[in-house]
Amino acid sequence: MPRPEERFVTFSIDGREVSAPAGVMLADGAKYGDIEIPVFCYEPKLGAPVGACRMCLVEVEGIPKLQTACSTPVKDGMVVHTQTQRVREAQNSVVEFLLVNHPLDCPVCDKGGECPLQDITFGWGRGISRMVEPKRHFRKPVELSPLIAIDRERCILCYRCVRFSQEVSEDYQLILNERGASSFVGTFDGHPYVAPFSGNIVELCPVGALTSRAYRFRARPWDIEGSGSVCTHCPAQCNVEFTVRDERVLRVLARDNHGVDDGWLCDKGRFAYQAIHSDERITEPLVRNPDSGELEPATWEYALDVAASAIEQAGSSVAAIAGGTTTNEEGFLLQRLVRAVGSADLDSRAGLPPVPAETQRALAAPALQATIPDIEFAHTVLLLGTDPIDDVASLDLRIRKGVRRNGVKLAVATSRPSALDANSRLWLRYAPGAEHAFVAALAAAVGGADGVEALCEKADADPKAVAALAQLLQDGGEDVVIVWGQRIGAAPLPSLLNLAAALRLGERAGAGLIEVPVGGNARGLREVGVQSNAGPGLKDAKAGKSAHEIAQQAADGKLTTLYLLHADPVRDYADRRLWERALQGAEAVVAHATLLSDALRATATVVFPAESYAEKEGTIVNLDGRVQRLRPAIGRPGSVRAEWQVLADVAKRAGHDPQVLTGPIVTQQVVAAVPFYGGLTLEEIGGKGVRWQERDAASAAPEAPAGPFEAGEPLAAPRPNGALRLGTYRSIWAAPEVEVSPALKFLTAKQQAEISPVDADRIGVDNGGRVTVSAGDVSVLASVFVRGNVPAGTVFLAEATAEQSATELLGGEPGLVEVRPA
Amino acid sequence: MAEQSSAVARYGHGSRIPGWDDSVDLSKDPAVVPDPATTPVPDELRAQIEAAMAKYPNFRSAAIPALHAAQDLHGWCSPTAIEQAACVMRLTPGYLTAVATFYDMFETKPVGRQRVYVCTNISCSLRGGKEMLEAVKAAAGDDPDLNVRGFECLGACDIAPMASVNGEFVGPLEPADAEQLIADLKEGREVLPDKQLSRRACADPGARSDG
Amino acid sequence: MADKLLFDRIDEPGLDTIEVYKRRGGYQQLERALRMTPEEVLQNLLDSGLRGRGGAGFAMGKKVSFLPRGGMDKYLVCNADESEPGTFKDRELMQKSPHMLIEGMVIAAYAAGANRSFIYIRGEYELQAMKLEAALIEAREAGYLGEDILGSGHSQTLYLHRGAGAYICGEETGLLDSLEGKRGNPRLKPPFPANQGLYQGPTLINNVETLATVPHIIRMSGTEYAKLGVENSAGTKLISISGNVQRPGNYEIELGMKARDIIYGLAGGPEPGREIKFWFPGGSSSPVLKPEDLDRGYDFDSMARAGSMLGSGAIIVVDDSNSVVDVALTLAKFYRHESCGKCTPCREGTNWTVKMLERIHAGDATPMDLDIIASVQDQIMGNCLCVLGDAMAMPLSSMVAKFRDEFEQYIEDKRAAAGLGEIPEPTPIEIAGAAA
Repeated sequence: MPRPEERFVTFSIDGREVSAPAGVMLADGAKYGDIEIPVFCYEPKLGAPVGACRMCLVEVEGIPKLQTACSTPVKDGMVVHTQTQRVREAQNSVVEFLLVNHPLDCPVCDKGGECPLQDITFGWGRGISRMVEPKRHFRKPVELSPLIAIDRERCILCYRCVRFSQEVSEDYQLILNERGASSFVGTFDGHPYVAPFSGNIVELCPVGALTSRAYRFRARPWDIEGSGSVCTHCPAQCNVEFTVRDERVLRVLARDNHGVDDGWLCDKGRFAYQAIHSDERITEPLVRNPDSGELEPATWEYALDVAASAIEQAGSSVAAIAGGTTTNEEGFLLQRLVRAVGSADLDSRAGLPPVPAETQRALAAPALQATIPDIEFAHTVLLLGTDPIDDVASLDLRIRKGVRRNGVKLAVATSRPSALDANSRLWLRYAPGAEHAFVAALAAAVGGADGVEALCEKADADPKAVAALAQLLQDGGEDVVIVWGQRIGAAPLPSLLNLAAALRLGERAGAGLIEVPVGGNARGLREVGVQSNAGPGLKDAKAGKSAHEIAQQAADGKLTTLYLLHADPVRDYADRRLWERALQGAEAVVAHATLLSDALRATATVVFPAESYAEKEGTIVNLDGRVQRLRPAIGRPGSVRAEWQVLADVAKRAGHDPQVLTGPIVTQQVVAAVPFYGGLTLEEIGGKGVRWQERDAASAAPEAPAGPFEAGEPLAAPRPNGALRLGTYRSIWAAPEVEVSPALKFLTAKQQAEISPVDADRIGVDNGGRVTVSAGDVSVLASVFVRGNVPAGTVFLAEATAEQSATELLGGEPGLVEVRPA
Repeated sequence: MAEQSSAVARYGHGSRIPGWDDSVDLSKDPAVVPDPATTPVPDELRAQIEAAMAKYPNFRSAAIPALHAAQDLHGWCSPTAIEQAACVMRLTPGYLTAVATFYDMFETKPVGRQRVYVCTNISCSLRGGKEMLEAVKAAAGDDPDLNVRGFECLGACDIAPMASVNGEFVGPLEPADAEQLIADLKEGREVLPDKQLSRRACADPGARSDG
Repeated sequence: MADKLLFDRIDEPGLDTIEVYKRRGGYQQLERALRMTPEEVLQNLLDSGLRGRGGAGFAMGKKVSFLPRGGMDKYLVCNADESEPGTFKDRELMQKSPHMLIEGMVIAAYAAGANRSFIYIRGEYELQAMKLEAALIEAREAGYLGEDILGSGHSQTLYLHRGAGAYICGEETGLLDSLEGKRGNPRLKPPFPANQGLYQGPTLINNVETLATVPHIIRMSGTEYAKLGVENSAGTKLISISGNVQRPGNYEIELGMKARDIIYGLAGGPEPGREIKFWFPGGSSSPVLKPEDLDRGYDFDSMARAGSMLGSGAIIVVDDSNSVVDVALTLAKFYRHESCGKCTPCREGTNWTVKMLERIHAGDATPMDLDIIASVQDQIMGNCLCVLGDAMAMPLSSMVAKFRDEFEQYIEDKRAAAGLGEIPEPTPIEIAGAAA
């Protein structure tokens, strides 16, 4: 679908000649002439204007009635007046009407000072009230959800919040009840408005009717400062503005970036800032006392020495793992140190299998890379093995937007039912763990190759559905974007590349692949060389061990020092028991962490206090190669130090001085080491980031091998035969930052066994009942969640929950589990 | 929060609107699209709603027919009624609640099954519609089976003042008719047969010429 | 006066069945129309000068011609949400001659190139819905609806959709939202329904009476039909007369007939001994007229010249036994109840107006409140998303303007009764920045 081309038109507004892009609404077009037209209900992010509040009435010559500037597109030669007596009368009237029932409780209103209604009343109101009737009073505020309070007296019924719920997040929980002056915002039968993006309505509200319960009365606008950065809680990397008061983050707002988040935040991104100021935060170095065996606070000097000597002594038997919140700079310093001591045992893939460097280079080809906005304008989008709502939240809204506004044809191919099934042209299921067979089947179907049936059988996918999907991808228009999850593993990737080649995705600007990795900066970490089989810039490097191999070696007592940079493999990676043994088995464990996990408390030798994302300086790379910049918003608590500096100090003490004095010097080193970042500066990255593929240096990207790629022979999904196949997913709410944020605690993911009604019947359990899910001698407890759309023969469990995590069961190959009433 | 503020005097004046003071119940789960696996729907209701959905190019058009059907079954648009309709239509219950609360004929609180709408709009009020409403209310007393409501113009000003009794328009009414109306209704008789609009000839003498 | 068209022997037993309707020549005009080209049918509609009978009075043929040509899905929607207080003509038509409406709809849809059609009937019309439902079944069985109607190649579906009680759904875009299964909030225009209406497709929306007139236009030919009535008001019109008259009901008249002849001649005027105080010429949304306007012709232009409008053709007569304040309050409360709440001036303006009138009623007002009421009506007019706000503001303004003395007397009497005594000297409100 071609994107609208930008053309400029010239019109006159209040006597000024103004040039603005054709098609923009007058309310926006006027800004090109520095003229402000007041609005309440208008918010372009919400879709087509509704013209409800009538605040933006203006006079357009040639049209007898006043027109709403929010819904009148600018046209060449249009003559507009916003300051005539008639317009002023209308504006005064609307303000007066809005204040008929709006309480003048501004002194005690949380919105006071940053309230559009205040501003517009001041700027466009009459300044007096003729209304002598008693205003309506209601109990206030009342709860709308654990996160949001609603003050219905103050609501001016602009519809923004309900439009968001209905037309952006499409959860359709927030509604307008009743009619006319009795209309009010509410929900069905007193159910709370709990949905992954609910917090956006607080930011949309133009009055103090919807307030964040976490922020209420914490600060006045004159107490606070805004500071822009990027959220690192998930790979979406939404742009945020921290509201800071006295070195504390009190609120997170969206910092609209069309290339990244489209101006929306998920509730985790909006409220998990509370983890920054958690009492459980580690704010000083901890070192294990060899006498007591306990982790104890230590001086920086001592902690750095202990860490450095552990590395120095271990030499080539050092292994390091970086977690998703690690910046490029930190990752780069880490891999440099590890490689300097003669090891190549590095990983940042969240425990997933390594991908051969050749395959990685093919996937990283700039021509094959779709951008995030491409999703909105593609003919067809295929979601492959990822559910954005859990893996990369704000992308969920982007896909919905494309489908709703631009008629993007969405196809969903996952093992677990997806939140986007209802929006898709077609969805299909394959057996959990059968991604390889499925992608091979799809590639064969698109390429017209033989063996599709047999591959479908192996994947337990419906061959008709696969054929329909192949046809949609081929005939639905050239611009196809495949959004695929890193969780599908390494084996399907050659087939994925063959599929992309068959669909000619590399040949069109609006088509391509987007990988949804596990972990916020996973893409950046790979590009700077935090992996066992490629160095910075995806160049060939001495091969080392991947995370799983590292774990096995450590568990066998063959690894001396394990460096965990923001990584918690015991909680997050498959095979929890192996990792517990690995941490016990390693001679020394050096970790950077903000919170002390049980595993670290039991096994760490040194724990360096990690910075929160609001304290960090550095760069990260978004899904589509956009290099973004983290900027410190607050000072570091306690004796926390910049982590690039900690890494540099450790390296220096271990005899490998990286020669860095400031953060930006590390950035320079990263840029120098990664050819396709060539010449990139922090200034160039700026507030909106820059996609490296769009710079000249992209030509220095590693040469991509030509296909076709050897697809290999996929394994068949196991037949249940009375047992159930186990599928796992990682919930957006299964994370420590959720657990320690008081506002979000209620959302903490609990273990649920999602099963079909058929299996529930067979096992003899009801919705909400308790079951044991076991594989061999390992089992987890879960409550039953009967879902009509779960394929029979499969059970889905959440990974990385604080307790009873499905990672316990992921010891070996994807397999079968027994589910029994507990 | 609930108890203390309801006692505050300043809440005593101004117009009261049901629902505006209500907080959500945080112990409930969010109201997402009901899962058919866990939401039983009576077969007949399901069939009615599915038939309605098939009539329109977009199934959402069946929202009002679905609510009519659910209300007919349950007596009012109860949460259960709405959940069942939402389950069949694959919509959130919120969607249907927003629709149900917009329209006067959908009852979102429990009411009697026998409907008596008494018109109080201009033409009827010029001929005693408001007094008629009081008379019918008085005659109905507190019978829980009766749902007596004042209603806006029902489109039968030729028989003002009038009422719609379970859909049957009757008028012109006099306060004395109220007792009879309620009695007919309670006894299950035809209500005020002489005053039913369905039996009334056109007022235009020209239209009757050779009828 | 010409023969009756719509009301011709309307009470004939069984006219609601296809058998009697056909025996009287029903569906012959459809056969005739289907033998013409759609353009010829459209030309007849244009020639007829038929103006919409729902309230706005827009030329029907022109409305049809606005629909784009081409193969997209187009829709015809019959607005049978007759909710304007005082209006009940469509009710009688649908109940007694449902096939006339169906025949008109198939012809109109043929002219507009629409293949899907709906009748949106207000939920309260339960008897009429049943009659229409039965007639639709008959028409489908007889092949007047469905695929390839009478071998013409024109196919059409027609379904009945019942509303559920909301005046605003008589507004055409509110009706469309309601028909799409949403709250019946009016939409922003443009886009107009002719371009983007039901399900975003081009849509023709017409009132019951308008569509029921179509077979008669085909029978007479557009040019012949245009000879009925007066300039700019062609044809006959069903009028609903109610309020303080002796013979309330529906009458079919030729447009241009004197209002006095309708109110006194047909409807018998007020009860003996009573005088007309004022009258609404076109439903409760039309500005009120006084007895001196009774000698005007009842047609679009004459009513406009009198400062009011023909509207839906519903005359409500108020005699001198009633207080204008009571009528104003009843009226304002109705519009407050029916405001959808989407746009500010209507939602808040109707609400505020009711509160002020209630205060007058309670004896706690001064004449200055009348100025504020009048000013609030001015602030509503022209500033709303749809016409509902204006529908209250127009009649209310006219009442306050034409019966100011009575309002003031009422205020004084009520104050006296409430023991509030003399009205204090008013202090003018100074409005910063406003012109003196």
